[in-house]
Amino acid sequence: MALMQIAEPGTAADPHRRRLAIGIDLGTTHSLVASVLSAVPTVMRDHDGNYLLPSVVRYLGGGGIHVGYPAVAAAGQDPHNTIASVKRLMGRGHGDVQTLAGHLPYDLVPGEGMVRLRTVAGEKSPVEVSAEILRVLKERAVETLGGEPEGAVITVPAYFDEAQRQATKDAARLAGLNVLRLLAEPTAAAVAYGLDKGSEGIFAIYDLGGGTFDISILRLQAGVFEVLATAGDSALGGDDMDHALAEWLMREEGGDASDPLWRRQVLQQARTAKEALSAVDETMIALTPFGRAAREIKLSRAQLESLIQPVIQRSLPACRRALRDAGLKLTDIDGVVLVGGATRVPAVRAMVEAFFQQRPLTDIDPDQVVVLGAAIQADALVGNQREDLLLMDVLPLSLGLETMGGLVEKIIPRNTPIPVARAQEFTTFKDGQTAMSIHVVQGERDLVQDCRSLARFSLRGIPPMVAGAARIRVTFQVDADGLLAVRAEETSTGVRSEVVVKPSYGLNDEEIARMLQDSFTHGAEDVVRRRLSEAKVEGERVHEALRTALAADADLLDPAEREVLDKAGTALINALSGDDAGVITAAAEAVETAAEPLVQRRMDSALRRAITGRSIDDLGD
Amino acid sequence: MVDSCFRCGAELGAPPALCASCGAVQPFRADLSLYAVAGLPETYDLDVQTLRTQVLALQKGLHPDRFANAEPAARRYSLEWSTRLNEALAILRDPLRRADYLLQRQGVDALDERVKVADPELLMTQMTYRERLEDLAAARDLSGMEALRQEVDTAVTGVVQRLRGLLGVLPCVEPEAAGAALRELQFLDKLLGEIDRSEEHLQNA
Repeated sequence: MALMQIAEPGTAADPHRRRLAIGIDLGTTHSLVASVLSAVPTVMRDHDGNYLLPSVVRYLGGGGIHVGYPAVAAAGQDPHNTIASVKRLMGRGHGDVQTLAGHLPYDLVPGEGMVRLRTVAGEKSPVEVSAEILRVLKERAVETLGGEPEGAVITVPAYFDEAQRQATKDAARLAGLNVLRLLAEPTAAAVAYGLDKGSEGIFAIYDLGGGTFDISILRLQAGVFEVLATAGDSALGGDDMDHALAEWLMREEGGDASDPLWRRQVLQQARTAKEALSAVDETMIALTPFGRAAREIKLSRAQLESLIQPVIQRSLPACRRALRDAGLKLTDIDGVVLVGGATRVPAVRAMVEAFFQQRPLTDIDPDQVVVLGAAIQADALVGNQREDLLLMDVLPLSLGLETMGGLVEKIIPRNTPIPVARAQEFTTFKDGQTAMSIHVVQGERDLVQDCRSLARFSLRGIPPMVAGAARIRVTFQVDADGLLAVRAEETSTGVRSEVVVKPSYGLNDEEIARMLQDSFTHGAEDVVRRRLSEAKVEGERVHEALRTALAADADLLDPAEREVLDKAGTALINALSGDDAGVITAAAEAVETAAEPLVQRRMDSALRRAITGRSIDDLGD
Repeated sequence: MVDSCFRCGAELGAPPALCASCGAVQPFRADLSLYAVAGLPETYDLDVQTLRTQVLALQKGLHPDRFANAEPAARRYSLEWSTRLNEALAILRDPLRRADYLLQRQGVDALDERVKVADPELLMTQMTYRERLEDLAAARDLSGMEALRQEVDTAVTGVVQRLRGLLGVLPCVEPEAAGAALRELQFLDKLLGEIDRSEEHLQNA
């Protein structure tokens, strides 16, 4: 009898206990965590009552790490070891961030793959830095909820490409979180608004965060949130307004523009002034350049608006593109939702109102709306909610292949609903050709060099045939998180070799190429590896079931039975740390055998509980 | 033949994707047509709103989000069904792709680029339209483009009407005429895309 039969599928060991789930908004400037507590989505606070965690990580000598406000406080004195706005570096290569380098005071390490930062604690990837932020949020959740969350929904900008999504998921895994779903930030905002108001219709979500801009068009109808189109700019945000103002201040003030401390100070004052001018018409900026007297500069809202106008205007082409992709006119939009701290700026609100010809909705705090939506979705995904709520997302950027002459052939166009799969057939063009090179890119441009390279690999081990006879079928599968898997298969000879590549900046091209090559030449090894991973999943499931059963009903066993079972459990844990599928499966089976008395008695006692209170007549058949 | 649940043996409805009795998601069936996956009869004359409602209702039960914590096999089946449902909606909602799909089902590939089709009249129309669009773009005439768009929209409605007649009974008995209508519709579709891009270009310039 299998241990898994103790509980009916889909029911928890204790049906009255709510499953713990959290939503996380991993933002450029701030991050938040929320959960549905007593049916109310609630943002969790730290010990000081703050709900925002500044997305700033400071590495100290000797292994210490500060995250949040303590790190922000030290940013001025220790800029090289204090990482802010790391979200902008997620999934980015060294070449991608050269344009940002002037703005970022970090010591970037040149090299292949994802960019790395040199700190006192060694080289850190943006994934590792993000994981530190996620760890702090997770701890906050564990303390507030009184237990480990079973799963998390993490929001990403709708415009995040494959590499950026994968990096986010990697960071969550590093922080020990089980990711139920990556959710587009605007979709999360719509969930927060949609459920509160029970509204139906077509909505535009204008999301101007610290570092990214997204515009999404969503239809809400009969419990289905359908993303119709999304567009945006992953390098446009409130930070750019701060930088525009800071550049102006530095021109006015002079000072050494290459001095990171001075830049940091000016930038902080610029941000403070921008925020102040959302409420008042005029503010004073205090600057203390090194070796010179402190100065105060007066700044009016009108001055600020003229400085940031070019930044704000950059969001309009994306708005038009999204409307067009959705096949809609401005008058079709029933409501406009504002998301992101930067939408507090009055000039942004005025421009949105002018463009969409209606006053935007701002009822929910634009800093909290995304994380509240994520918490609601997390709650639904672990099975706490009976409401029929479904989120249908779209592919944010087109996927394509490199063809002759460095051109891109689009395989799946942007704004295609996901999950989606497309297959494309290729053939050899030379007699006896046994290899073929495939380059997967993401982006809207026609030239490969203007798109993001996702994976480049060679198919080897194709049986030699005359030109055009081989049939190489390449399948692209994008899952509900927007993550891509590429599967290649030679079909003409009945030789079925396939491999799933998860392109990411964690894997370099060589590794991906090797994985593919291995699959063609070492098909048998792949089978072994797959068997191992299946055995591990099954073994871990048995171990978890054993732990749950013992926690609930250990008293049903006598000491001798308990000893046998404990021994089998320990053997299973040891087997799971190894990589022999046969050993793991045998150990799991041994646990199931040793657990039979326990399983039987748990069934009996459950049955007794179930029939208590029923009359003899009811039990007749 | 009636399909039955792989787990509990209960009879399955259409599409045979979820068991109403035990709730199990069924192994994916690649052999089913897009219509069968959406649980709809195979006709060209299709109400897009009905299709949408039907597919979204099915997605509610089959989308991978419903199986976020389920076993790997169930997650894979759900991904496959959900992917196919999205494909059904994308192809069947579009009058051009729907017609192409139905013709392909009877072995006619009207849009195959390798087959050269001499169609002088269509060629002439194409050239005239393209020249007009180029002139409007050069003159930065947005309202003229809008007028051209409406004209093309009307032409699309006419071709779809013709296809509705030709594909009223399946399999189609006049595949050549249907193929010609399909190629005309494909051209008009592309033209609408070009008008979009020209307009966008002018607005963002």
